[in-house]
Amino acid sequence: MQNLSVQNDTKNREDSSYRLKLWIGRILSYIFLIALAAIMLLPFFWMLSSSLKLEKDVFRFPIEWIPANPLWSNYATIWTRIPFLTFFANSTKLTVIITFLQLATSSFAAYAFAKLDFKGRDTLFLAYVASIAIPWQAYMVPQFIMMRKMGLVDTHLSLILLQAFTAFGVFLMRQFFISIPNELLDAARIDGLSEYGIYFKIMLPLSKPALATLTLFSAVFVWNDFMGPLIYLNSQSLKTIQLGLRMFIQQYAADYNLIMAASLVSLIPVIVLFLAFQRFFIEGIASTGIHG
Amino acid sequence: METAELTNNTSSISAQQRKRKHNLTCYSFILPNFLGFAIFTLIPMVFSLVLAFLHWDGANKISFAGLDNFKQLLEDDTFRIALLNTFYYVIGTVPLTMLVSLGLALLLNQPLVGRNFFRTAYFFPYVASLVAVAVVWNMLFYPAAGPVNEFLRMLGVTEPPRWSASVDWAMPTVIMASVWRYMGYYMVIYLAALQGIPSQLYEAAALDGANGWQRFRYITLPMLAPATFFISIMLTITSFKVFDLIMVMTNGGPGRATNVLVLHTYNIAFRQFRFGYSSAIAMVLFLIVLIITIVQFRMEDRWVDYQ
Amino acid sequence: MKRNLRLFTLIVVLVILATGCTAPPAAPDTSELEAQVADLQAQLEAASDDEAMAELEAQIADLQTQLDAAEEAAAAAAEAAAAEEAAPEPVTLTMAIWDQETTPYWQVLADAYQAQNPNVTIELLDTASAEYIDKVNVMLSGGDETDIITIKDIPQYSGLLERGQIVPLTSLIADAGIDTSVYSGAVEELTYEGEVYALPFRSDIWILYYNKDVFDAAGLDYPANDITWDEFDQLAREVTSGSGADKIYGAHFHTWRSCVQLGTVQDGLNTVISDDYSFMKPMYDMVIGMQQDGIIMDYGELRAGSIHYRGVFENGQIAMLPMGSWLIGTLIDAKATGEMDFEWGIGQYPHPDGVEAGTTAGTLTSLAINSNSKNKEAAWDFIQFYTGIEGAKVLAGTGNLPAIRTPEVLDVFASVEGMPEGTKEALQTTTVRLELPMDPNVSVVEQILNEEHELIMTGSVSVDQGIEEMTTRINEALSE
Repeated sequence: MQNLSVQNDTKNREDSSYRLKLWIGRILSYIFLIALAAIMLLPFFWMLSSSLKLEKDVFRFPIEWIPANPLWSNYATIWTRIPFLTFFANSTKLTVIITFLQLATSSFAAYAFAKLDFKGRDTLFLAYVASIAIPWQAYMVPQFIMMRKMGLVDTHLSLILLQAFTAFGVFLMRQFFISIPNELLDAARIDGLSEYGIYFKIMLPLSKPALATLTLFSAVFVWNDFMGPLIYLNSQSLKTIQLGLRMFIQQYAADYNLIMAASLVSLIPVIVLFLAFQRFFIEGIASTGIHG
Repeated sequence: METAELTNNTSSISAQQRKRKHNLTCYSFILPNFLGFAIFTLIPMVFSLVLAFLHWDGANKISFAGLDNFKQLLEDDTFRIALLNTFYYVIGTVPLTMLVSLGLALLLNQPLVGRNFFRTAYFFPYVASLVAVAVVWNMLFYPAAGPVNEFLRMLGVTEPPRWSASVDWAMPTVIMASVWRYMGYYMVIYLAALQGIPSQLYEAAALDGANGWQRFRYITLPMLAPATFFISIMLTITSFKVFDLIMVMTNGGPGRATNVLVLHTYNIAFRQFRFGYSSAIAMVLFLIVLIITIVQFRMEDRWVDYQ
Repeated sequence: MKRNLRLFTLIVVLVILATGCTAPPAAPDTSELEAQVADLQAQLEAASDDEAMAELEAQIADLQTQLDAAEEAAAAAAEAAAAEEAAPEPVTLTMAIWDQETTPYWQVLADAYQAQNPNVTIELLDTASAEYIDKVNVMLSGGDETDIITIKDIPQYSGLLERGQIVPLTSLIADAGIDTSVYSGAVEELTYEGEVYALPFRSDIWILYYNKDVFDAAGLDYPANDITWDEFDQLAREVTSGSGADKIYGAHFHTWRSCVQLGTVQDGLNTVISDDYSFMKPMYDMVIGMQQDGIIMDYGELRAGSIHYRGVFENGQIAMLPMGSWLIGTLIDAKATGEMDFEWGIGQYPHPDGVEAGTTAGTLTSLAINSNSKNKEAAWDFIQFYTGIEGAKVLAGTGNLPAIRTPEVLDVFASVEGMPEGTKEALQTTTVRLELPMDPNVSVVEQILNEEHELIMTGSVSVDQGIEEMTTRINEALSE
């Protein structure tokens, strides 16, 4: 797309001053991008360097970015301090189940909100969006009481039920579905496809970037969620990675070196997920199948 | 919608039947999500809104409060300060984050070498642990010898701001941190939306001799409207609800300089156990956001082209 | 539409009543009432006119009072039943604690008790310390039945007892014949309107830590056990040296409000809940003066850099650190592993002029029984062990300061390996005042004090302005 248009431009005006300008623009862009990347990655560098220090040196100022005596042993220590593998397994389980349910139910509902006309659609949708406006802190306690009545406290099911059906997912998917041309759907209807057929055969294949985005957001949210597991999980065998991280923090002193080592390890799945989903954001429109 | 129009033209009985069937189909799409959403989120939410009219300490003694909790709002100094701070934060954060994330998405949608790396890097502050984010940000803006102030001194500023340690600069510091943390997140949404723009549109525009700015103005921007709408609403709502970032960065301080509504709600509920009053504050927050959201929806009708 | 909304609201109120009001385990009575509520709910759904609605609303109000009464009766019956039960059956007690991994004594004490009582199993419910209080509050609001609640601080304690979530212990203490004087006043501090709701097992006091090497290098004597705040100020100024990265600060005040304000209530004339805070001026003037002269690190920078007192002390950047006795164990470990490479000592907490030496402030960690517990009697037996002399000796052996400090217990404590010389003298106290007094308004007051402390220390307001604001804001808050 932009790729193509850039090529067209160069064909039209092949004079050298234009090329020079283009090159200068490119170089400036790269300088800007690299400087920005450095700032964005600072927390990563800080986490890395802290994870290799003695605890007392973590907050020492000025920061020693490259520790003179890197303590790689911190990475070994974290595995002995808490049952990390259990926590990883629990977090993975929750993340996979919640993300899957979230994708399935939100995109399903979003199709109706985006492309179908029915009684009460706009009111219902507004209710969804408005619900995002109420801070969780405000209804945390009523929700907990309800879950306790249902006997779901200290189960993974409670968290799954709480987080799988969010307004956020529906809203995000609706916005992406809206931009898919109606002509495509009408053509399919004329061909005799039911609404369910349209959803599965047309909407889903066309929404890969959107589904990838929701997967990423949902997975990052569940993986990094702290308050939910804190309130709903008691048993050691059910706890998640974020609860495990907090277990390092003591009352009067904090082992920040170990926390950062553990945080970095816990980030690996998220980063891998992001890299794996990259291609859906670069994938050109040609591959998603709209040819007018 | 076409199907609806079609049914209007056929005979009335079958039209009604078809309409009902159509509605049922529509509801069947929504049902799986709505069921879970209504039971586990909506009902507790309504609970909490009802609480605004009750007195409750979290253990026993629920009593009817009428409008007491709302009258209390008028006398609560901290509420007034938190309300103003929240608006300050929202106005500071929303436009800036939108602009920066759009700019980054456009830039990283170009065929640049290493753009995968840049995308991952820019997304990083969002996934990094909040503690690390807060520490690093405060360190950058460390009053005595932080890089930012060293730089300012180099430029000849003799008394650079004391950032998060100063009543006047704490909020701008938090706002900048927020933009930095969330721009990568919204950039991803814009990137995904950019993939949905048919390339034929650009090709046709190029044939018509449109320049870069015109293509952006008349193709990219309108085609991004649904995403922009989503981002503006989500960003507004989440900014009004800001909590975690402020909690770890300043915990509302110095004094009450960065105290915001949700932090106040939290303190009232979990430090003072006045769940009713806390719900009343949440209710005010909810109403503000609701009004803004409805206005945004109205505007959506005007500038989002639903084809 | 309007009616629908009203109907919905009513149903919601009903559900709240049915859930929130029956939080304690339902006795036969309540379940019958609950059935009535369900019945009413059905009627309500069927109700078609406003009059019927109004009538139903009245009925709901009526039912709520009935439910409340039934609940109380049920709770009383449950207690009586628990009292009758005999012990030897197997019991599992659950106990809410924090930081199990890094706080060995939870397990050590639980094991010690289980060894004596083979029929009892202690289950520890672990939460990270920073979130412990919030988590327990949410749990208890949901009607949780965890038997033993560990009380971390006074605001938590006063909240729990005010909401009736923990059981009064006064009569139990009298029946068991426990002599509360061994707690040197702590039980009296925990008494509210004639009732005690928790017994302390751990009690930390504020002391003065110092870096011996710094004093040796400066050719000065180590801080004496009996020094006033003025002498402390003087000494800190003498021992401050160097600049830049090599600077050694004479003293250190951590960012907590208590670090400054404890010194203002040592004389016992005032508590931090007051209607006039001018008594805090001398202490603030001293600390701000030290900060301006570079004798202590800058408050704003400590906050911005999240700088921990432990790090700066272990790095040898400060000469004297007034801090709680919880740091002793940490420093012993740091010395043993070589993380800290200088000699250190402890002395008594400095005191205002005219106040007896050995007057200090302290924090209590105590145990209480959840009102919803099904094993109140077993829990009480466990608490007696935990907070008694046997528990104290076990706790002292782990390098923590028990609430009972008989010479015998202190011997155990002082003989822990790595304990600095003079520990027993430094821990000698004449009066220990609570950091925060028992008062229902303590949370509100503490928040205001924290905010104003921050403003004064960052120089956003002057000492006088800050103190004036404390006075007006707290008077306003308390008059409500």
